[in-house]
Amino acid sequence: MADFSIIGKPTAMVDAAEKTTGAGKYTDDLRVPGMLIGKILHSPYPHARVKSIDTNRAEALDGVVAVVIGKDAPNPYGILPVGHDEHALALDKVRYVGDNVACVVATSESVAEKALELIDVAYEVLPAYFDPEESMKAKTDFIHENKPGNLEKDYHHAFGDPDRGFTEADHIAEARFIANEVTHAAMEPHSTLASFELDPHTGKLGRLTVWSSTQVPYYLQHKLSLVLEMPMSQIRVIKPLVGGGFGGKSEVIPLEIIAAVAARKAQAPVKITYTREEVFWAHRGRPRTIIDLKTGIKNDGRITAVKARVVQDGGAYCSYGVVTILYSGALLGALYDIPHIQYDGYRVLTNKPACGAMRGHGTVNVRFAFETQLDELAAKIAMDPAEIRQRNLLKPPCITVNGLRVQSYGLPECIEKTVERSGWKQRRGKLPKGRGLGIACSHYVSGAANSIIRSDMPHSTVNIKIDRDGGVVVYTGASEIGQGSDTMTAQVAAEVLGCSLARVRVIAADTDLTPIDIGSYSSRVTFMAGNATLRAAEDVKKRIAAAAAKKMGCAAEEITFRDDLILKKSYGGAGDSSAQDSHEADPSASLRADGRMRPSLHGSLTLPESQFWSASVSGRVEGQILRGSLQQKRKEEGPKEWMTFEEAVVAAIDFHGALTGTGSYAPPPEARGGKHKGGGVGPSPAYSYSAQVAEVSVDEDTGEVTVHKVWAAHDCGRALNPVAVEGQIVGSVWMGMGQALTEEMIWKDGMLMNAGMLEYRSPSSVESPEVESIIVESIDPEGPFGAKECSEGSLAATIPAIGNAIYDAVGVRLHESPFTPERVLAALRAKRNAKSLNMTGGIDPTAPARLREHGGSLCFGNKGPERHKVDPARNQNPASAGGAD
Amino acid sequence: LSLPQFRLLRPRAIEEAIDSLAIHANNVRVLSGGTDLIPSMRQKLFEPEFVLDLHGISDIRGIRVQSNGEVEIGALTTLSTVEKSSYLRQHFPVLTEAVATVASPVLRNMGTIGGNICLDTRCLWYNQSLTWRKGCGFCIKKDGDLCHVAPGGTKCWAAFSADTPPALLCLNAQIEIVGPSEKRRVPLLDFYTGDGVEYRRLLPTELVTRVFLPAESADYRGVYRKLRVRGSIDYPLAGVAVAMKRSKNRVEDARIAMTAVNPAPVLVQQAGEMLIGKTIDEALAEAVGDIAARTAKPLTTSALTPEYRREMIRVFTKRAVLAANN
Repeated sequence: MADFSIIGKPTAMVDAAEKTTGAGKYTDDLRVPGMLIGKILHSPYPHARVKSIDTNRAEALDGVVAVVIGKDAPNPYGILPVGHDEHALALDKVRYVGDNVACVVATSESVAEKALELIDVAYEVLPAYFDPEESMKAKTDFIHENKPGNLEKDYHHAFGDPDRGFTEADHIAEARFIANEVTHAAMEPHSTLASFELDPHTGKLGRLTVWSSTQVPYYLQHKLSLVLEMPMSQIRVIKPLVGGGFGGKSEVIPLEIIAAVAARKAQAPVKITYTREEVFWAHRGRPRTIIDLKTGIKNDGRITAVKARVVQDGGAYCSYGVVTILYSGALLGALYDIPHIQYDGYRVLTNKPACGAMRGHGTVNVRFAFETQLDELAAKIAMDPAEIRQRNLLKPPCITVNGLRVQSYGLPECIEKTVERSGWKQRRGKLPKGRGLGIACSHYVSGAANSIIRSDMPHSTVNIKIDRDGGVVVYTGASEIGQGSDTMTAQVAAEVLGCSLARVRVIAADTDLTPIDIGSYSSRVTFMAGNATLRAAEDVKKRIAAAAAKKMGCAAEEITFRDDLILKKSYGGAGDSSAQDSHEADPSASLRADGRMRPSLHGSLTLPESQFWSASVSGRVEGQILRGSLQQKRKEEGPKEWMTFEEAVVAAIDFHGALTGTGSYAPPPEARGGKHKGGGVGPSPAYSYSAQVAEVSVDEDTGEVTVHKVWAAHDCGRALNPVAVEGQIVGSVWMGMGQALTEEMIWKDGMLMNAGMLEYRSPSSVESPEVESIIVESIDPEGPFGAKECSEGSLAATIPAIGNAIYDAVGVRLHESPFTPERVLAALRAKRNAKSLNMTGGIDPTAPARLREHGGSLCFGNKGPERHKVDPARNQNPASAGGAD
Repeated sequence: LSLPQFRLLRPRAIEEAIDSLAIHANNVRVLSGGTDLIPSMRQKLFEPEFVLDLHGISDIRGIRVQSNGEVEIGALTTLSTVEKSSYLRQHFPVLTEAVATVASPVLRNMGTIGGNICLDTRCLWYNQSLTWRKGCGFCIKKDGDLCHVAPGGTKCWAAFSADTPPALLCLNAQIEIVGPSEKRRVPLLDFYTGDGVEYRRLLPTELVTRVFLPAESADYRGVYRKLRVRGSIDYPLAGVAVAMKRSKNRVEDARIAMTAVNPAPVLVQQAGEMLIGKTIDEALAEAVGDIAARTAKPLTTSALTPEYRREMIRVFTKRAVLAANN
């Protein structure tokens, strides 16, 4: 199986043409007859009771069809079964500035926006909590009544004997790290279009179809059924093209529920598309995280124990929070060999938009702290930072102290290759002043071994149907969100069936057509949907082989499929000898496809397969007629040494009837982790590994950091599509660099100061460094063709690699990300004992009291915001105006 | 966010434009490149009944060198045209350097020099959506009477955030203003008020039509240094322009101006004067930087802390002076 004809070769994305030409349709491009526009009214207060909502004036506006409020759909929902704390629209309380209060459905966006101004809401302002450590001290006015102390969830884990581990240590480092809040900033803002059909018998609203920019169509279907009280079979969710998710679309986002509720009330199709500001409010990004980390090592660099106390500022709703706080602890394991781990994690509610899953879910901030501290310890014992990492490698196959099973482990090779390519040994410490190199490692799951909703259901199922002319249709629930899932699916199917990629069409993520798949998150698609595709293809292949064997007068086991041919293994150059050529040894294997191996069809039909498929329509018809007669002729000739793919397919259909196959994947029980409370999060059938070296320079007068180059090695098991793997590595490094240097959500008393792409600064192409991506293939025993994840694992290493490079360049350790110029300069000043400047006072969200001085108007004692007399909210809001008048 | 509804006026000549302005007076906004006006209108910072689109007026577009050496730049000349002018690059390098840092290449293709001079002052509490501003409380600059940046204050501190005006101030540029009854030339220095709300001296019935670079300012060495988080797109968080003429290693004339740290671009007279007659060295550049930093009044109108931005004025001034000397 090592000699591949499809996988392992750089392959253009199957949807590349429609995306690059603009012909492709994203949700906001869709229109249906009679479609109306929905606009959401958001809360101006971070924490308030909703006393009353008067929609009369809004409903009276010309062009307004309906105004939807919380009572129209009061059922709670949430992505986690333990976190059903959200409602379509506020029922009794609003919990962050931007929380959803009402929705206007109107004939145009501008009418809907005008109507929003006419909705009269009376609020009773409540004390609000913005800092997690303050929030945990709350005695009254909890954000959710059933969460005392505003604690969403806490976990306390001890694996091994942490106390003993620290006693054995020769050196211990202990420090507080802060990673500030970041968001996905996907290119496409969320959009949902919901439309009901009329029931043919009753004439009332019947089936619901929802087109939405989602990573998880089946979860959306499930939550819609809860909120709308409809059976799932009456709801069809279709995922059009999605312009990036990064976790921001990996759960049900308020607009998806609101659009459906609004369509029901308006009795017409409704589309809602978020503004960029609303995308920031919907958020679900990476929480601001406070990490108190303690690590012990021996003199030889071996880690003896790790203790982490992690506090996550989770925002106002649970979202994926319970999973995030568990990942933060669980993924302390499975990268290095750590004998003793203690973990105390607190997921805290605050009056800010909910945090959720974001690329590298749960691992990134803790990894930043850990890799920085490990570097500090290496410096303490004067050990090369690359070497201290090599001293602590796992010895797989193994099960870590916290119950994670590791089988394939490319980390040693990742470290080796980045060190070699970056010239680490020759260059580190010898670069000009202000320039430095830093190294860090990271890892990530290839999908969670346990799904959110515990059940024995397979995590992925794939169906394949093959048409009479040899066209292969793959039905998968996996969501293509730009990461290449459809292309991967087509490649795997084509590889197994030995047919050309052009034959394969992928129908994905439509709950009416495709079998269930739990979605595109936690980097599970290649591993799980890939395995399901492989099994479905094997299933259908078996049927073809059986029919072909009969025609060829041999046993099914004697047949091999490749290059659109079905051959006896003993035939020509297609026998076992070539099948044993290793992929690595002969990378040009594909070149043989059309040339050497294709048997001549008695000189009469010489069109190679590829030309046949790209021929004009009339040519194709003629070709088919020609082929039909040839096939007939060949049929009459008796047993063959080989058949074309179509001949074999026709034979199989003649023999079996419809030619279909199905396959599914569920992670094996032994990969599902320990039995401890919360032990279900963290286990994965396989882990990806990454090592990175960053080269930076620091301007010591301004604190500005420039990243010149990043060498990033990633163990993805096997690169099914190397160009897509490289894209994911580069994207991860780039996104990690954003979090390392420039991206940060800035809050003032619950107001997000930078809810837009101008002030929330994702890096531009100007400061994007060269990224040398290095693919490492450890060939996982359970991955499809040995493949593992490649989309998330690299991100976490970038932040500490840059931080460690800054240390190498100018000798300062930064414990708070992002490393903005002011933070770097403050650290440089502190190191030089130069005149210290208050560099962070104005924006540091750890100091809300000080921010109020800057913010001026918002003061949450017992007094509401002081509002201007023309502020409409003041006149209609006796509760808040009382203090000010 | 939808654009508010408005009627678009498309005059073909200046006189026609001035007539329209006179008729619609306070209910009109002038559109040239639109790179700032359009997003601001979506945020409902402006909801005019009329938008006056200047694009059809061709005679205020382009760069002309007069026989006396003075350079005339039409207000509608795009920033990329200014950036690419080899004449300006050769003789007025400080302007070329400054204009090349405005926003991004795509935005410079739309944005105009007149628009950059007239750019609305900016503040984190002002450049926000209507919903946001309602949540926070309206401020002096728009609909309110309090200031979030200087609590208790009655003055608006929104930062003037264009890149070309400090360069133009260093060049002693003048602008032509056309109104219903007159056409006048004023030094750019007199155009700005230092107040964040009424940030320019321009009647609602008037238009800025041309910029003039005096012949005497030609061939000054020039440098512009801009503080921003990203290498592109960002508005300046602090900016310093230096124009300098030397003879025999001594400074014959020098002017230094800053942007983005006050409600107006500021010509730091004292700093320029300090250089005259001297040979520039590290210490002198440092001293000039100190003066500039003292003149800057950065507040929490923008990203990065005020303390840091003031510090960067010091560093950037020093560096710009040294670079101009090289």
